[in-house]
Amino acid sequence: MPLEFTLNGQKVSLEDVPGEATLLEVLRQRLGMLGAKEGCGVGECGACTVLLDGKAVNGCLTAAWQAAGRQIATVEGLAQGDELHPMQRGFVETGAVQCGFCTPGMILTSLDLVEQEPVPGDQQIRRALAGNLCRCTGYHDVVRAVRRGAKYMRGEGEEQ
Amino acid sequence: MSRFLTPATLDEALNALSHPGAKVLAGGTDLMLALRQARLSGTELPELILDVTRLPELGRLELDGPAYYLGAGLTFRCLEEDPRVARRIPVLAQAAATVGSMQVRQTATIGGNVANASPAADGLSALVALDAVAEIASLGGMRHCPLGELITAPNKTTLAQGELILGYALDPPAETRGQAFLKVGRRQEVAVSRLNLAACLDRELSDPRVVLGSCFPTPRRLRDVEELIQGATPGPELWRAAGEKAAGHFTDVCGWRASATYKVPAIARITARALSRAWAQLEARS
Repeated sequence: MPLEFTLNGQKVSLEDVPGEATLLEVLRQRLGMLGAKEGCGVGECGACTVLLDGKAVNGCLTAAWQAAGRQIATVEGLAQGDELHPMQRGFVETGAVQCGFCTPGMILTSLDLVEQEPVPGDQQIRRALAGNLCRCTGYHDVVRAVRRGAKYMRGEGEEQ
Repeated sequence: MSRFLTPATLDEALNALSHPGAKVLAGGTDLMLALRQARLSGTELPELILDVTRLPELGRLELDGPAYYLGAGLTFRCLEEDPRVARRIPVLAQAAATVGSMQVRQTATIGGNVANASPAADGLSALVALDAVAEIASLGGMRHCPLGELITAPNKTTLAQGELILGYALDPPAETRGQAFLKVGRRQEVAVSRLNLAACLDRELSDPRVVLGSCFPTPRRLRDVEELIQGATPGPELWRAAGEKAAGHFTDVCGWRASATYKVPAIARITARALSRAWAQLEARS
């Protein structure tokens, strides 16, 4: 039986996916989606975060088959052509990206947060992102990025 | 290579689970780690992985009637966010909020937490303080087992092959109790418990519950601490004395190991603080 789910709005169907395969492996190795990264591989770092039916989960701790029939979103699906997603713009404009390894996970976790809490406070942002580690630059700019991205998502303008 | 099955009905799940090579996936945040280890070390993988998280029976959340019931498939995120859980069994809401990261809480379930039986499991201490009784199904029928008896050693339970935890029945008067959960870890979030403490107090202090987690092979009600509190006069002095007693209990059971220099004073403080919070909550309710 093929494994079928929706990836960034497109139906995908994969043959011969072993039961023990992680969602992260299938995304990276079978579907060429390299945005989600394997950092620690044990659910500590959040670099593999993807959205499963809109909820941030660790791709490395999720069996690929748990995605069956569901919606998966990765960072590749966020931009519309050349136009970045408002949350991506928030990250770019605040300089919240250094090496970029953690950024896809940070952005997806932030989207889940903003979905639940359109005007997140700094503490809420920090708590939501506690499972996304950045080893370059720290978290100050990331918190600003999420605030700004959330603002753009609400249709409001530049942060003063 | 493992097969993967997502049963649509409980019957289908129990049938599949009765085969010796079947392993339950109840969220996967522990199981996938174990599978990763098995793959890296070349040890045998389970023949069948059985994803029970979509079974409607495991999603029940009943806190409105005379008997409380929590389905084993509820995620920590759900327990953390549900307003009824926060109001009626805050000790579990508070424990759930401290589990892993948001990503882990959205996947990990209270069924998997118990079946995995980690000594550091946050959900376990809260459930034991609530006197939870597991409802366990198999092809042979149902059995009911208090959590204190279900968990026998680190990562060991009395669950037999073919048995599945459906959920937990809770002591209904829980709602009239003051409750608190506190945890000490190496960082504030995404930390494995070094210590955790769940406390439930009734107004008369006739049936106090104090559970210390992460210190013993299994979650343990501190009966001598509970006896000290029983019928005594509530207040800072009592909470402090209870804390001292809890710390003494720890060294009695575990001896003076290296970590005790830190743990003993930490247990005394965390116990006193949790009791004080539980009592303050009870006062705020009246």
